[in-house]
Amino acid sequence: MTTAPVVVRAERPLRHRIGRAVSYLVLVLIAVVALAPFVFLLIISFKSRLDVLTVPPSLHFHWGDISANYSTVIHEKKFPTFVVNSIVVTGGSTLIALVLGVPAAYAFSRLRFRGSDAWASTILSFRFMPPVAVAIPIYLLIRHLGFLNSYPGLILPYVAFTLPLVVWIMIGFFDEIPHEIDDAALVDGCSRSGVLFRVMLPLVRPGIFVAATFGVIFIWNEFLVGLYIINSQERETIPIAASALLTVESPIDWNQAAVVGILTLLPVLLFAAVAQRYIVRGITSGAVR
Amino acid sequence: MTATAEDARFEPRGRAFLRATPTQRRGEALLLLGPCALYLIAFSVYPLVVSLIRSFQDYDSRADSWRWVGVRNYSELFGSREFWHTVEHTAYFTFGGVAIQVLLGTALALFFNQQLRGASIVRVILILPMLLTPIVVGLMWRMLLNPDWGILNWLAERAGFHDVQWLSSPSTALRTLIFVDCWQWTPFVFIIVYARLQALPQDVFEAAAVDGASWFERTRFVTLPLLMPAIVFAAVFRGIDAFRTFDLVYGLTNGGPVQSTSTLSFEAFQNGFEYFRYGYASAISYVMVIVAAVGVTLLFRVVRVRRLDHA
Repeated sequence: MTTAPVVVRAERPLRHRIGRAVSYLVLVLIAVVALAPFVFLLIISFKSRLDVLTVPPSLHFHWGDISANYSTVIHEKKFPTFVVNSIVVTGGSTLIALVLGVPAAYAFSRLRFRGSDAWASTILSFRFMPPVAVAIPIYLLIRHLGFLNSYPGLILPYVAFTLPLVVWIMIGFFDEIPHEIDDAALVDGCSRSGVLFRVMLPLVRPGIFVAATFGVIFIWNEFLVGLYIINSQERETIPIAASALLTVESPIDWNQAAVVGILTLLPVLLFAAVAQRYIVRGITSGAVR
Repeated sequence: MTATAEDARFEPRGRAFLRATPTQRRGEALLLLGPCALYLIAFSVYPLVVSLIRSFQDYDSRADSWRWVGVRNYSELFGSREFWHTVEHTAYFTFGGVAIQVLLGTALALFFNQQLRGASIVRVILILPMLLTPIVVGLMWRMLLNPDWGILNWLAERAGFHDVQWLSSPSTALRTLIFVDCWQWTPFVFIIVYARLQALPQDVFEAAAVDGASWFERTRFVTLPLLMPAIVFAAVFRGIDAFRTFDLVYGLTNGGPVQSTSTLSFEAFQNGFEYFRYGYASAISYVMVIVAAVGVTLLFRVVRVRRLDHA
């Protein structure tokens, strides 16, 4: 009499527990697939040129190899210069894109004028423009303006690439704020721009973080347009410098290439850790309303 | 209560006060939109127009001058076998890659929907690949796939596959490219579908469960149809981006071996910047612009850019 219910009760949790265990196994597997390439890159960056060839790589590291690899890339290959260039270009472009894009998004969210939806879609569609289609004219334009090999030469086109993203994300955030707030400020005698700067900006601050995050990621990684605008090492951003290391026809020093990889990805990973909340919001902002 | 009544009394006057004259409104719109619009005209619209014009011209690099050639660039393009191969590669890469990413991404979203401890950490890990510099992703995977010391060949060997040609054979390189693209971009689909899944009202699922629907039935007939808008959005969005892919090709295969991974972006790039055939490259890129425009139109069908709840 007493055994039957016990068996029934014990059986379900067991099946359940096995299912649970399989789920956790899959979860770990997913994490490994996503992370393993970084780990491999990190290991290779710790190896001497000869030790790279050992498969699977041994996990005995020599401090001498590690410091030799990293100091070569940092001192001889001038990696810090590229980091500075990337920071200047990324920061400058993102800032200008926000200054131009946020008011535009506010206008699209609040002011109805003829064709406003069509204009908004047109601006957003630039987000999907194939960069090769404008790479050559932009190169010629920058050359004409005399900005080859300079920060403005990169910042000018990067702002244009980032603007649609900023406008897209910010329209969504402005739309979430009730119009009554604008109306109240307008009744109190505030001008439209006054409303934007004094009332709206504090309210859409999370949106600005999201837009900035996406601008930063995009510009930090941009490669194609920068490749021909910059042709001196002094002004190369990280992706351009990394590609220069790769395309040199001489055999690649893989251990040093791995160091370049690690040093390029590290800032992105740190940034992601800080900004992951905004990243998820940004990706889903167009899809989930 | 009194406050609401007062609001109701004052609201109409407030609204009337707000109704700006058309001229005022145009002024406001111009002030807010003007800088952004001018900027885009200078650095996006103008280059696009120039590109269109150049696609009907030929560049003479010695004289640094342009010459009208009518539709010759286009007729050469459409008559060239190489171009159609490139179209084929691009289509294979775009549709094949996105199909896999949509399937895997949706499966991941359903998987993460069960409450597992530690899942939130793995979700953060999953965000990482798509943030990475594509050029460096190419570099990283060239190491992983290296025929002599790459860890993937070692693993494949353990699994009984000998001498897998990841990147060195024309018949497999494009598939390897798709594989790496999936590694990087499946999480994108996952995040969108998962966010949608989290936003769905729970009572639908409870009702289905009460009605005795199995997990499979609930997923097939309740969850997936509700997720469809997000899935379609992710697929089209990703499709346009995959179609434009350049950096990954440049970093991983450089179009080879024997042009087997040359996509439209890469072909345009090579003709423009390596062979200095600017006109011909512009023609290729304009074909891309038109395809991308079709994609974007499709995307905006799926996602309303603006809702019409206020007029």
